Amino acid sequence: MQVNDRNRDRRSIGVLAVVSLLCQLGIAPAIALGNGHPDFAFVFVAVVAFTIGGETGVLAAFFAGLVFDLSSTGPIGLMALLFPIAAYALGIEVRDRIAEEPVMTIIPFVIAAFCVAVCYNIAMLLYGVTDSFFDALVFRALPTTFLTFLAYLPFLFILGRAHGGIRVGGSSGKHRSRYTLGNR
Amino acid sequence: MPLTGKGTNTRSGLRRGEKKTGGKTLLIVVVISLALMTIGTREAPAAVLGRVRTAFQTVTMPVRYVGSLMTAPFTAAGNIMANLTSDQETLSELKAENQRLLARNAELEEAAMSTERLEALLALQSSYSLTSTGARIISGSSDSWAATVIIDKGTSSGVAVGMPVTDGAGVIGQIIDCGLNTSLVRLITDENSGVSAMVQQSRAQGVLKGTATGSLRLTLIRTDQTVEAGNTVITSGLGGVFPKGLPLGKVVSVEKSPGALYYEIVVEPLSSAESLEEVLVITAINDAQRATAEDIAEADKQETSGLTKDDALEPLEISSEDDEESTDYDW
Repeated sequence: MQVNDRNRDRRSIGVLAVVSLLCQLGIAPAIALGNGHPDFAFVFVAVVAFTIGGETGVLAAFFAGLVFDLSSTGPIGLMALLFPIAAYALGIEVRDRIAEEPVMTIIPFVIAAFCVAVCYNIAMLLYGVTDSFFDALVFRALPTTFLTFLAYLPFLFILGRAHGGIRVGGSSGKHRSRYTLGNR
Repeated sequence: MPLTGKGTNTRSGLRRGEKKTGGKTLLIVVVISLALMTIGTREAPAAVLGRVRTAFQTVTMPVRYVGSLMTAPFTAAGNIMANLTSDQETLSELKAENQRLLARNAELEEAAMSTERLEALLALQSSYSLTSTGARIISGSSDSWAATVIIDKGTSSGVAVGMPVTDGAGVIGQIIDCGLNTSLVRLITDENSGVSAMVQQSRAQGVLKGTATGSLRLTLIRTDQTVEAGNTVITSGLGGVFPKGLPLGKVVSVEKSPGALYYEIVVEPLSSAESLEEVLVITAINDAQRATAEDIAEADKQETSGLTKDDALEPLEISSEDDEESTDYDW
């Protein structure tokens, strides 16, 4: 009987968190499209939500949002509010969707990234950082979503290949695992 | 469930039905986030959250720095691509802007240099308490026989023949002719010029004369006086034309021929004629700027000291080859 290896989950999350943090602080500022930058923090949130989801995903998202807020000039707590909501929505099924259906995660990822970007920039509009809704939407939210999607692809590729070899027959289902007890 | 997938996609069958979607956790973190946002908007930037942010950014600065180093080549490549793809219109605009900025830069440099010269003039005026008026040189000598310049002030500005003219470094000449709006200044390097001068360090009195070659000679300095290269030559104030103590030049060389009564002293002027632009015309001198009776007595003493009766000279007369254009006027 296999049990969930929480320690392995934590190690994995830790490694992913470090990689995402380095990308967010070191690489993201140098990549720009319009006024948008890739959001590696959200990539981290989405990957954890898709692979683990549930409570772990929400907690990881909260701390990722907090780190994002501390490294930016926006209000502290804003991304810490948006990320957990997105993580809850993406990880509500509490299963490893990247392992089971990596390509199918793209659409919900893009939708969630866009919603987070729009909400963040509208909030900045309300805070008075910018005074143009058009600027917030077209020159910030859309480019950020696009760049974040591009940043997600390498993670999706690496993690999808890492999981791909363990698929054992059947079509993708909600609860498919290699070692399970009982039938579905 | 491991992210690397090195393990297997496992889940305990005993816990299959249990799903912690994290609803309660979400509620808690939402409340915390809203509280943080509320606190952040209310508190001063230097308060707790601000300090935490500052500390975090300080700690993560090395990561940002390394990241910028890593991405610098790509940024540079991007700039190169952008430059390569710039259209002709952009290049033309940039060229025009560059030309405009070059011209503006030249104007500003000229203004800065003019400011420096004017500041030097003001400093001289202040240091020596000169009663003076400013003027600008508008023309140099029109022939090779006279070392003269023309200034843009004349009798309409209160300028008169005989008035000394200085620049920021010291005396440069004397007005020899005045029009309504312009005046002719004979420079001290002119061979017809002569200024009562003395060596600042030893107080040896003499006459500073110009030469045909444009150099200066300090004459009538007896060989029993002390003069060394590097000494400063200043106006002595004798004659009441030039204020006492104004710089004239620096001693370059001192030579003594066997049996000669006077040194052959070459003096370098402090300013070259080519660099003259803004000048001061000294319109009046006060008693403090004139040579005192003691100064005059000292000058006479120097002239007569060591002389025998046969060697006695007539009292010092300062004259030029052209008496009508004597540079030591007492107006």
